[in-house]
Amino acid sequence: MSLTADSPVHSSSSDDFAAFLDAELDSASDVSPELDEVENGEAEGEEEVEDEKGQDEDNDTGDGDDDDGNIDSSRSKKRKIELIEAAVDPQSSVSRGEPAETSGASLALDVCTHPGVMGGMCIRCGQKVEDESGVAFGYIHKNLRLADDEVARLRDKDLKNLLRHKKLILVLDLDHTLLNSTRLADISAEESYLKDQREVLPDALRSNLFKLDWIHMMTKLRPFVHTFLKEASSLFEMYIYTMGERPYALEMANLLDPGGIYFHSRVIAQSDSTRRHQKGLDVVLGQESAVLILDDTEVVWGKHRENLILMDRYHFFTSSCRQFGLKCKSLSEQKSDENEAEGALASVLEVLQRIHRLFFDPERGDNIMERDVRQVLKTVRKEILKGCKIVFTGVIPIQCQPENHHYWKLAEKLGATFSTEVDDTVTHVVSMNDKTEKSRQAVREKKFLVHPRWIEAANYLWRKPPEENFPVSS
Amino acid sequence: MFFHIVLERNMQLHPRHFGRDLREKLVSKLMKDVEGTCSGRHGFIVAITGIESVGKGLIRDGTGFVTFPVKYQCVVFRPFKGEILEAVVTMVNKMGFFAEAGPVQIFVSNHLIPDDMEFQSGDVPNYTTSDGSVKIQKESEVRLKIIGTRVDATEIFCIGTIKDDFLGVISDPGTNA
Repeated sequence: MSLTADSPVHSSSSDDFAAFLDAELDSASDVSPELDEVENGEAEGEEEVEDEKGQDEDNDTGDGDDDDGNIDSSRSKKRKIELIEAAVDPQSSVSRGEPAETSGASLALDVCTHPGVMGGMCIRCGQKVEDESGVAFGYIHKNLRLADDEVARLRDKDLKNLLRHKKLILVLDLDHTLLNSTRLADISAEESYLKDQREVLPDALRSNLFKLDWIHMMTKLRPFVHTFLKEASSLFEMYIYTMGERPYALEMANLLDPGGIYFHSRVIAQSDSTRRHQKGLDVVLGQESAVLILDDTEVVWGKHRENLILMDRYHFFTSSCRQFGLKCKSLSEQKSDENEAEGALASVLEVLQRIHRLFFDPERGDNIMERDVRQVLKTVRKEILKGCKIVFTGVIPIQCQPENHHYWKLAEKLGATFSTEVDDTVTHVVSMNDKTEKSRQAVREKKFLVHPRWIEAANYLWRKPPEENFPVSS
Repeated sequence: MFFHIVLERNMQLHPRHFGRDLREKLVSKLMKDVEGTCSGRHGFIVAITGIESVGKGLIRDGTGFVTFPVKYQCVVFRPFKGEILEAVVTMVNKMGFFAEAGPVQIFVSNHLIPDDMEFQSGDVPNYTTSDGSVKIQKESEVRLKIIGTRVDATEIFCIGTIKDDFLGVISDPGTNA
């Protein structure tokens, strides 16, 4: 039994038939010369037949290759065959029509724009496609590539669907945002109790601390993360997007979402990014106007900072603190943890809920399809320091344009207004030290004198932080 | 499609197995080696059904291992373009869905899902008709037509369609549960 694929069975059998007729005809013409007379007698009809044959050959390029070689030499013979076939077998005209039909169908397939390629085959017509263009969606299937048009189409369709279900898209980072991991080898002596005395750890800690021997890691989930995911899943379609390797990302997704109900196949790892050391929304199948990003690192989101909600880094392990050059004791060494109810995730959840509420506000008059979550994010952010009039002193170097300074821009984004002099309307004086003229003036006139970290804290907390926690040291 | 064919393979056997049950050892090793594997030409070798012949052994120089040419009958499974298959859905997303027919993975893109079926995200992502009467989700069984195949050394991957008469869901896990 032969399994050779794609042999065009029908054509080979018809070739056989033609060969058979050929042989028959040869022997027949030898014996009976009347056939020539028949041909001459039907000379009028012959032209028609020739035309037909010409057409057939045009359509039949795929299957009729074998015939091409001997067409010229046996032209007259062929003609006879045509005649005999036409005369003897009325069905042959029907079977003649077949190749024309299939070639018509293949023409239609050629029109296919190949919206995507999966394992070298077009996902719409099944044809082999060598094209390596488009964006790879390795996290959906390892061999999947989609053309830009198709991505746009999917996004558009998806947006309608999402908005109908009153959902937006949320892209979540893993490390330092939802959890903190360390290699087992990097665990310091002071935190070794975490792996050696697991049984005596308090329940709250034990249920969120995982020792993953097979990848030599220990992972601590950020407090409140389970509640966060549960609440957020009702408002957002969630993606994980990490700079970690794929196996690690899947392992973490499994810890966060053991039931597989939050993320499904929406776990994007480093290898899925289209550009090195950058994260991009081009591999997220969602319209950018509906995507919010939660990440602790701003630089990786080059083009999409407007979608980004920056998170305060979660450092539980010592190695993680050291990595970022923090000298203080880690949470693990202090045997403490972030506050569950007032931690970063709890406060950001409130923000997300607020943005969602504003986005889907039924009293907004505009078209829901044209709304942009980035605008909402901007508005919400502007309310944080609304009403604060800030004077900087000893923060911005003389040679620097104040408007371009990091703290100025940050405070501006948060809705603060500025002044150069300390007058009645000024509410806060931001200073690095309390010796400057303006700092003293602030104290005299009972204005808030705060450290620049106060602005950063406001950015992370999404509310005005208590000023007394950010004193200016002398 | 399934085929019952005869294949040949050179089996290497360690001299410690030479004894009364040499043949059994050879057969059990053959089963372990080839069942479940995939070849581009024949598809998946599902099961060995019998041994046709065991040829004369040849001692390998230097190792003492002996090579036996073994001819065996086996059932192979190879999907073809145009073939209708029944498959179980393994994953549903906005791109379409993945299904498995035994060892063969098939992808049906949303271009090839009937236009009246829409993707619904949520805890159990699915494709549903507007009246909700037909639903494709994980574990659903579907009848589909293969429109493209790609055969690698170790796996066969297919593109399928359910956008045709008599194709689509044949059993719904929701109704059974």
